[in-house]
Amino acid sequence: MHRPECPYQAWGLGASPMKVVLIVVITALLLTAEPQVTSAASQATFGGTSLAVQSAFIAVQTAGKDGGNITSLVAELNGALALVQKASAENSSNPSQASVDLQSALVIAQQVQSAAATVGRQGISTRQVQFDFSVASAVVIMGVAVALYVYGDRIYRRLWLRVYGDHVVREVG
Amino acid sequence: MDRETGVLALAVVTMLAVLAAVSPILPANGESFSELGILGPGQQIAGYPTTVGVGQQFTLYVYVGNHQGEAEYYQVMTKEGSQATVISNSTSADLPPVLVSPLVLGDNGSTIFPVNLAMSTAGLNQRLIFELWMFNSTTASFGYTGLWNQIWLNVTTT
Repeated sequence: MHRPECPYQAWGLGASPMKVVLIVVITALLLTAEPQVTSAASQATFGGTSLAVQSAFIAVQTAGKDGGNITSLVAELNGALALVQKASAENSSNPSQASVDLQSALVIAQQVQSAAATVGRQGISTRQVQFDFSVASAVVIMGVAVALYVYGDRIYRRLWLRVYGDHVVREVG
Repeated sequence: MDRETGVLALAVVTMLAVLAAVSPILPANGESFSELGILGPGQQIAGYPTTVGVGQQFTLYVYVGNHQGEAEYYQVMTKEGSQATVISNSTSADLPPVLVSPLVLGDNGSTIFPVNLAMSTAGLNQRLIFELWMFNSTTASFGYTGLWNQIWLNVTTT
């Protein structure tokens, strides 16, 4: 029996390989597709962000102890904290924005933690330079003092001679 | 000026100069402490509300200062209590916070920020309690600093 070669044949009720493949593909797509309804940020997400902020703070505190300038890092951390608070306030009314804010806070915290290591190293380096300069200054001052003690009289006399050596004593009157 | 006086002057000047040179690298030995203050709506120590209605919004300002010698991570816990609420410098109020305000301050840093509040329970001599908590890096948890403040309020039903 010859079957007509209609291009729409596959959509008919009869079983064909193309139809089976189509059904499988559609089913797979339906199963794997993400739901379009945005769910509220979970407590776990808030907890994860809070932990990230805490870790970033510990890194900033350490960088500060090492002598680094942490002013901008502190400001950024406060920005991250403000985003977490905002997310907490809007989680029930605007969950998608809350998730975005939490994600932003997480990124800021990670950036701060990363930058804190560099700031800490700079602080250690600056502190070392300051230490070396202070010790060198103290050594130079003490050296000058000893030199003045030992050679002070001689230096004073030579200076006096250089300043007043050309003076001529004249008889007055 | 005789020689003895000159040597003495030289020694004194040398000691002062050496002290000035090494002072930047000497460890700071000051007292470490934090500060907590509650300011009225005008950001002054005045104008605090005394009577508010239940659910009526009002604004206060919180001052926090850090002189701990290093950066600190604080939380200001706002709690709604009554005359019977127990709180001291060693024990925080056993109440759930109605507001938690986190902030990070650098050493010798301070800040003033607003808090928008509303009382939920009517009654005479209600208390709005503010506690300062500080993050402990070793235990990775917040601990009560012992600093607290309060505002007494008569909360009406209207």
